[in-house]
Amino acid sequence: MYDLIIVGGSAAATAAGIYAARRKLNFKIVTTEFGGEVATSGDIENWPGIVHTNGIVLASDFRKHLKSYNVEMEDGATITKVEKMPDGSFTLQVNKAGNGTTSYQSRAVLITTGVHPRLLGIHGEKEFFHKGVTYCTTCDGPLFQDKMVATIGGGNSALESALMLNDIAKKVYVINRNPAFQGEQVLMDKVQEAKRIEIVYNANTTKIIGDQFVTGLTYDNGDGKEHQIDVQGVFVHIGMVPNSGFLDIVEKDRLGQIIVDGLCQTNISGLFAAGDVTNVPYKQIAIAAGQGVCAALAIIDYLNKQKA
Amino acid sequence: MVNTKKVIVYSTPTCVYCHAAKEFFKENNVAFDDIDVSGDPQKAQEMVEKSGQMGVPVIDIDNTIVVGFNKPKLKELLGI
Repeated sequence: MYDLIIVGGSAAATAAGIYAARRKLNFKIVTTEFGGEVATSGDIENWPGIVHTNGIVLASDFRKHLKSYNVEMEDGATITKVEKMPDGSFTLQVNKAGNGTTSYQSRAVLITTGVHPRLLGIHGEKEFFHKGVTYCTTCDGPLFQDKMVATIGGGNSALESALMLNDIAKKVYVINRNPAFQGEQVLMDKVQEAKRIEIVYNANTTKIIGDQFVTGLTYDNGDGKEHQIDVQGVFVHIGMVPNSGFLDIVEKDRLGQIIVDGLCQTNISGLFAAGDVTNVPYKQIAIAAGQGVCAALAIIDYLNKQKA
Repeated sequence: MVNTKKVIVYSTPTCVYCHAAKEFFKENNVAFDDIDVSGDPQKAQEMVEKSGQMGVPVIDIDNTIVVGFNKPKLKELLGI
């Protein structure tokens, strides 16, 4: 029986892991993949104390920090179910990629599973995934040198995608279904000034078309006509969805975010959540890390009270 | 045992799974050729032709193509 199992492997899990290790809890981190959305973030210039880093380096630094405390990390293992037992402990069902399934027992559980990109849900999106359609500009952008591409979305992540592609592609359309962007002014200014970017406002992407690979997309801007543009790449940045689907015992909001209080407690005693998967606003690496610390300390209190 | 299979990793510098795959090969003492397709359109095209898709990493182990960092599959192909 573990004191704690941390599910997930990025900023919140790392921060919680460091604190749990310093208090010498009997715990482990179980994650489908280490690094999460931090790893695909590209340049990072808002992590206090580090003027400039990038997602790959920061994720690798997180791992090193945990290793320095000899934290047990199980990578490539996905928790498929969390159940509360009559004695107050938890049973977690684990699917180890390629190595069957098992289960773990723990007195407390911390969920830090983060988010994944939202899909458009339109014709052609699934068929052309990795055949022109991608959700990670930092990963796949470099393959579109001198090609025609489109970024879909209206927030910071879409703006960042368009700016990266501006340096790589021949032309970048930004398809925004709203009449304006919602993001940092500095990014909006850069996009407006960028030579290769053309913004299409009030446009709903309706279809991704192609043969073996993407050749174009269609959009609807309310004028009753179907508009088509020829592109070889479609970069989808329309927001994130919490990775909370595997949890059926906990209270969530309408977006699927796990509802937590100021101590990162859920409605189930002993089950805590931290980071982007929760209903705490502003999805930021520093916020996730801070919540991870808060959760770890609250969990230590919870375990101590149980023992008493 | 020294691995004698020819391993090629098609990657971009900003791709997380490319880094993960290369780390995996290093940890297991598997020698590999690393091809950065971001700076080489010809090699990028070669990768697309081999794999029929445009996602990285693409890993070529003795002409068997693996798309993505599929650790169980790589272990199987390398016999490790």
